[in-house]
Amino acid sequence: MNTKIFTALFLVLVFCGLALSQTGVKKKRPLPYEYGRVIINNYSEKTDIAPVVFEHWIHRSMFTCRVCHVDIGFAMKSGGTDIKAADNARGYYCGTCHNGKMVAEGKTVFAACSRQTNLDDEKRCVRCHSYGQRVASDFDFFQFSQPLPKERFGNGLDWEKSEELGLIKPATSLPGLSAARNSLAVQKDFALNPKVEGMPDIIFSHKKHTVWNGCELCHPDIFMGVKRGTVKYSMVDISQGKSCGACHTTVAFPLTDCQRCHSKPVQP
Amino acid sequence: MVPTAMVFKAKLWTQLAPTFKTTLRKRTPFKQILVAALLFVGLAAWSGARAVHGISTLAGQADTARQSSQESSESWLTEFDNICAKTEDAMTFSQEELTVLIRRCDNLQPQIEKLDESRKKVYLERLRKCRGLYAYVLDAKRKDKK
Amino acid sequence: MPTSSMQKGKTRNENPRGLLRFALACGILLLPCIASAQIYLPRPAPEPSEYGKVILDNYSGAEPGAVVFDHWMHRSKFTCRVCHVDIGFAMQAKATGINAKSNSEGFHCGACHDGKRMFEGKTIFAACSGVPNNQCYRCHSLGKNGVRKYEYKEFTAKLPKGIYGVNWEAAEKSRAIKPVDFVEGLSVRMTQMRRRADFSVDAAYPWVEPINFSHEKHAIWNGCELCHPEIFPSAQKGTIRFSMFSNIEGRGCGACHGKVAFPLNNCSGCHSRAPVWVP
Repeated sequence: MNTKIFTALFLVLVFCGLALSQTGVKKKRPLPYEYGRVIINNYSEKTDIAPVVFEHWIHRSMFTCRVCHVDIGFAMKSGGTDIKAADNARGYYCGTCHNGKMVAEGKTVFAACSRQTNLDDEKRCVRCHSYGQRVASDFDFFQFSQPLPKERFGNGLDWEKSEELGLIKPATSLPGLSAARNSLAVQKDFALNPKVEGMPDIIFSHKKHTVWNGCELCHPDIFMGVKRGTVKYSMVDISQGKSCGACHTTVAFPLTDCQRCHSKPVQP
Repeated sequence: MVPTAMVFKAKLWTQLAPTFKTTLRKRTPFKQILVAALLFVGLAAWSGARAVHGISTLAGQADTARQSSQESSESWLTEFDNICAKTEDAMTFSQEELTVLIRRCDNLQPQIEKLDESRKKVYLERLRKCRGLYAYVLDAKRKDKK
Repeated sequence: MPTSSMQKGKTRNENPRGLLRFALACGILLLPCIASAQIYLPRPAPEPSEYGKVILDNYSGAEPGAVVFDHWMHRSKFTCRVCHVDIGFAMQAKATGINAKSNSEGFHCGACHDGKRMFEGKTIFAACSGVPNNQCYRCHSLGKNGVRKYEYKEFTAKLPKGIYGVNWEAAEKSRAIKPVDFVEGLSVRMTQMRRRADFSVDAAYPWVEPINFSHEKHAIWNGCELCHPEIFPSAQKGTIRFSMFSNIEGRGCGACHGKVAFPLNNCSGCHSRAPVWVP
């Protein structure tokens, strides 16, 4: 009996250090043209077609985040929206714009998942259903990003500055879909104190965020706390995709760019 | 007097009853046909009445449905646009106004749930976000006041 | 019926069966010790010339063969930050997904090895340019002899040595190496964040000396973004759990120490004193 206890205790000692370790490894960093890529595979594989590859950089230069995530109704996580070909064909979700009629940047937007397809349509289908396939895209990231101001990490592009300089003009509403809105009475920027001493305060700008997101995208789904200071955000949670991490791990500038948020010098 | 009458009636009944019973029991052709005919007519009348009632009800429903869908395809959407276009101004509303908006969202929800699958999916989500924001702002205002 | 219980009155020496059981128990206890020691104590590190060697064979078997990347060559010329933050290499073999296409587009190896960039007065040869030339085997050298330009012994002959291979810290102090931290067109100059002072971390077991950690020494070569938040989730001191087991696995400190930076056998490199029973 004692032997068993000793063996058990020893094994517990050996393995307890392994378990619950919270440090990590440095993973691959997505290349600039890969950052913001979403693979959508709700039903594609089940119906024998390649999953959809959605690139954020193409769309975010033309529309604000709110148009798709509030007005059209896309979820913020892959697989969260339950998009079906039927929905697209009826003019919802992707089909809101990809309907063969809408004109964007002087070109007619190709139709997604139309009801009747023939062999010629395959070229159109693989424009989205391209996972694992070699498909030449109409949009070339290098050409696209050439004139835009650069930053490190993420797509390697300073989207804020690009909009400031008028190089991109993301539309804030879609006629016929978005209700005509007033512009937001601006909230002031405020500082959040970090828990780790020595880290500069986080300066959060509502203005910068609401220009692209509106209110409903974040409140209350992503940020539930109503009174400032009641909810504690930790970097561990954020890096797992909660609160700020809902965008700033996948589409907006990533967490490795510390100084973008932690921008107020600590008072000595 | 009464007991006498009753006794008389009882006596009469006991004398006549067997005759009635036997007469009734006899299955004459005429009787059979008469009973059958009566039953048939009764059944026909009852089912006819039900059918007529049903048809008129269905017709009534279809009419109202057609009318209501034409109106409501505009009306719920108009209502949705009216409610949810105000999200940017949410911070400027009073608590009462926000409560009214939230109630309007709740009233709109069953109408959206009756739509076809695609529209239901899309608009339920949009309504959820819109209602969520108003509730959030209301909560913030209540906590601020405390 | 005679049973072992009848022998209970005897002492261990007089009870052969008891002795056997005792020996068996010791042996059973020893087996997991030996087994776990194989897995969970820091393994002896390879030869200094082999240390930090990364074999990249994502597409092994195909021409021109697997790539051999030696850290000693590049770390003498560039800080860790340039490759692992600015260019974006992962810190595990095959995790980055480098291929000829990304190189020729100017990512990964191709960020410097583009045939145009000048360094130390020479043009850096192009990686995966598509033109078959004898430069391919300078990287794709697994199993091939005499194709590489630089050899460990010659290259590190003049560098100060430590208890295990080159002492890179001392090499930088004595200016024998001058690792570049900013590459034109690739790096972005950011305002420096004030670094935390050196601090000590208590080990999980009381018989182990505390670890002296210097942010200054690490940040000179790594910057902040290399470690935070992926390798070390940023949190208040004391809230993140470390263990030697996770280091040996390659997480946390083990992301570098054990693969490229001084190995984990070098206990006094981190702990103020090596434990008495170091293997």
